[in-house]
Amino acid sequence: MSIATTMTPSRKKGPISLLTMLCWSTAILFFLPIAWIIATALKPKNTVLDIPPKFFFMPTFQNLLDAINFSNTLAYFVHSLIYSFTSVFLAIFVSFLAAYSFSRFKPAGTEFLMFLLLSTRFVPAAAFVIPFFQLFNLLQLKDSFLGLIIFYTMFSIPFSVWILKGFIDGVSTKFDETGMVYGATRSHIMFKVILPQVRSGLVAAFVFNIIFVWNEFLFNFQLGGLKTYGIPVGLFTSITKGGQVDWSFVASIGTLYVLPLALVIFFFQKYLLVGLTFGTVRGEV
Amino acid sequence: MSNSALEVKGLSKSYGEKSVLKDLSFSAALNDFSVICGKPGNGKSVLVRTIMGLEEIDSGQIIVRDQDVTNANSGSRNIGYIPQSFALYPHFSVRENIEYPLDLINATKEEKVEAVARVSELLKIADLLEKKPVQLSGGQKQRVAIARGLSKSTDVYVLDDPLVGLDFKLRERLIDDLRQTQEKLKVAFVYVTSDPLEALQLAKTVLILADGKIVQQSNLNEVYDNPSHLSSMATLGFPEVNVFSGEMNGSTFSSSVFKVGTDIKSDYKGAIAGIRPEGVLIGSQPGSITIDAKLTLMENLGSEFVAYLDVKGVQISTVVSRTDLVGIKLLESKDLKISIKAEAITLFDAISKKKIGKGVSLV
Repeated sequence: MSIATTMTPSRKKGPISLLTMLCWSTAILFFLPIAWIIATALKPKNTVLDIPPKFFFMPTFQNLLDAINFSNTLAYFVHSLIYSFTSVFLAIFVSFLAAYSFSRFKPAGTEFLMFLLLSTRFVPAAAFVIPFFQLFNLLQLKDSFLGLIIFYTMFSIPFSVWILKGFIDGVSTKFDETGMVYGATRSHIMFKVILPQVRSGLVAAFVFNIIFVWNEFLFNFQLGGLKTYGIPVGLFTSITKGGQVDWSFVASIGTLYVLPLALVIFFFQKYLLVGLTFGTVRGEV
Repeated sequence: MSNSALEVKGLSKSYGEKSVLKDLSFSAALNDFSVICGKPGNGKSVLVRTIMGLEEIDSGQIIVRDQDVTNANSGSRNIGYIPQSFALYPHFSVRENIEYPLDLINATKEEKVEAVARVSELLKIADLLEKKPVQLSGGQKQRVAIARGLSKSTDVYVLDDPLVGLDFKLRERLIDDLRQTQEKLKVAFVYVTSDPLEALQLAKTVLILADGKIVQQSNLNEVYDNPSHLSSMATLGFPEVNVFSGEMNGSTFSSSVFKVGTDIKSDYKGAIAGIRPEGVLIGSQPGSITIDAKLTLMENLGSEFVAYLDVKGVQISTVVSRTDLVGIKLLESKDLKISIKAEAITLFDAISKKKIGKGVSLV
């Protein structure tokens, strides 16, 4: 027995180390552009374009402070926060109600309805831009938070319903029925009994959608305006300063832009796997 | 007010073309442990769901404490419920799970403390109150589920096969607990199961559910000793009843295996003879029907053996006590004789499956 226990790790050690190294190399390769952006943001302005590039330097926060203090940066950041988080929270709330109904009441044609719901995401975004632009002009929703929040909520709902339905399907209807027998209302069961059991799904749906909305450029550019532009549009419009690209500025904005999302993903990464599998590996969390 | 805590009258329920409950009627009395026993697929779960208001019925009436609750929603029926699966809320502690039915009726803190103390003492789970369900064993979870079902004071409780899937020793302990609990509370327990041994251990009153109907309702001994329906005999008992198809000629029943004189006066063409395994004895016994048999299989249950025998192509079973050394010796030979007392034979109509008489004499 003792031989087996001592031999097992040593037999596995070689291949695991190699595999681990390969994984780390791949991960680093993927992370390199982000590391490059962060490094550029922290480099003194006059060393950014040095060839060969400087890997060791005295970091400075001046570029980041300059970027924050630059005209509308802070406003763009606040705009992004307002429409992203509000629309995703709203979408998840609405999606939870829809997913619960699909899961528990199974209306006729549920599968087809679910397909239809997701089909809105099949069409290339460019095909929607002009109709939405006209519609938002007509409804006077252009350059308003209300308009952007409605748009991003609508865009976040289909995927959230899919994720959440998978999770709610995984919670036995016995929980609902036991609650009903004891006198609970349907809304009580939804929010006090089922919702806490699909927390992983809610977080997964939140993470996926916040990544999408936070990064979205096209519709923010077309349907927004000076009062509602977010960071992606802000970055695009401020990329040139004095007739040339200010790479320190671009990298600093990029760093600030990535930071909230990186934090969200870092803290909730375990839910991403759960969300990708629509709740089927829920127990792993 | 009648003594009936729960009464079901003419209950019918179909799913499309499939009729599951057919004009089903029964009543469960206060201070009684009623066990509804039926084979799997006979509509037990549907019956529970209709009683609890989780399923709409096609016709019939459900009366709880003399109140017609047929159209009342689930929560307002005030029936204690212990589901088949534990259905303990994983995000609640044991205490919160037990308090849950009380929270829904806005019970005061004192009432909740008193109820939790009462049921946790009754089911010996006082040391588990602060744990989460995931930290409990299967038996502990079931105790908590029972405690939650009992926490709201009422006088009718429906227990939907709550011991299914638990190991033997645990079931034995919980069976004791359930019996004691019912006796202490003096309420109506309506317990639904497909396990004949659970029914035999728990029931004061047995209700046999077969083919969507309650075919017999009476006290345990009466149902066991005088089954009025073939399903009563087939459902309640282990090993399963031995069944012989045959026909009546006057007052004589004839099958391919034996003939027996009966107390039947009327003319029945097709008839079925049912004999409990303990009515089949190993060896040749005076005053009994003696038949040649071949041993095909022996099962060792510890204190007794179940012997499966082939009698002219019909498989029958019998039980031999471990202390019956003569019987065990006889079983060592593959070819043996078995004896059946005429009085151990109950006869049923081949179509309605209702009891039509008993064996009385050798032919």
